[in-house]
Amino acid sequence: MEFYQQILKQLVTLQYQLNSYISSTIRNLNDENNVTSSLLIIGIAFLYGLIHAAGPGHGKALVAFYFVSNKADYKKAFKMGYLISLIHAFSALLFTFGIFYVLKTMFRKNFNELSYITMQLSACLIILVGLYLLWESYKNKKSRESINNIQSNKSELSIAFSAGIVPCPGVMTIVLFCIVLKQYFLGILAAIAMSIGMGFTISIAGILSILFSKNANNYLDKKGYILEILGAVLIILLGLFLLSATTHH
Amino acid sequence: MIKFIVFIISVTHTLYAHPHTFIEIYPTITVKNKIIENIKFKWQLDEMTSSMLIMEFDNNSDGKIDDEENRYVFENYFLTLKDYNYYTDVLIDNKVQFFPTPRNFKTSIENNRICYYFEINPQYNIKNTKFDFGDTDFFVAMILKKEFITITGATPKVSDLDNDFYFGYRLEIK
Repeated sequence: MEFYQQILKQLVTLQYQLNSYISSTIRNLNDENNVTSSLLIIGIAFLYGLIHAAGPGHGKALVAFYFVSNKADYKKAFKMGYLISLIHAFSALLFTFGIFYVLKTMFRKNFNELSYITMQLSACLIILVGLYLLWESYKNKKSRESINNIQSNKSELSIAFSAGIVPCPGVMTIVLFCIVLKQYFLGILAAIAMSIGMGFTISIAGILSILFSKNANNYLDKKGYILEILGAVLIILLGLFLLSATTHH
Repeated sequence: MIKFIVFIISVTHTLYAHPHTFIEIYPTITVKNKIIENIKFKWQLDEMTSSMLIMEFDNNSDGKIDDEENRYVFENYFLTLKDYNYYTDVLIDNKVQFFPTPRNFKTSIENNRICYYFEINPQYNIKNTKFDFGDTDFFVAMILKKEFITITGATPKVSDLDNDFYFGYRLEIK
């Protein structure tokens, strides 16, 4: 675990530095340096998103499980990564602006409660997606027919939705910080930039997973439904795990 | 395949938790005759988290935390950290102890950042005591650097904390 520990340390240190850099740059915004500083903040937010999503979470496991069991190309993995990050950013913006204007005080407490509710909701959705995929692979095994495109798109969308619905607290923090300093537009742009960064990292998880399943041996290729069922079961287990992890708080 | 699954599951162990709040720890430690008599802590929160907390803590928006606001922070925020052992595991002979009850708690706003001040009078022997700083949920990253430490009567040693799913720091006193 030494190697993993070192990666984790680097990720934390980098985020610590970027976090402090972004906040001081936003605070020092003035008329003279407005454009250059704003561009810099957006660039840094992208980098921050890239690194932030490399830490645990953000639906990477879900994407990986999905692509282990479903034949797809790299384009699809990118599409999925960006779909998740789009939903992620939108939900973070909606939650932050919503909570800020509806409940100005007691922000933190409500924020915590709300994020637990959305996490539970997301966990339930993940379980449902897993069950849906299980049902689909069972049907495929029976009929030996390939999944038609409409069905495939539907399950991709549901994966992206259930992984992305939990608003990222990292994005929420930046947005809120910008709201407090009345830099509303910059807040939205930074959230989008950060999400694009995260989308990139999530896509990489999907691509790695596709690479893995391409290298899987012929036996499994012929009996692809075994992988499909395994993937679906793993997604259900992941959902159950998340549900139990978020309900004990 | 199994290795891959185990790897994925272990990486996602703390799926929704990765640091969103950074706390710099500034300890001032007094050691006499190899006994740690007093530790004064200053926790400095990152600016983004601070900006959110200031909205709530500084109720009368005068840029300061007065006594009543301090009591609110203590009761509603600081004391809840007891469940997390104040992100500080004290190890005596490698066994985790309860963190001693913090005294003289004070909140202040310094350079737009929230700072928590508190102290403990532990009477630990430096020979068999270690301090591990970190949040097992990994929502908070505790940051300790050697230059953050002020110490009299001994020398500090800071090392990376080798825990599986979160990152932290270990402080030993020699």
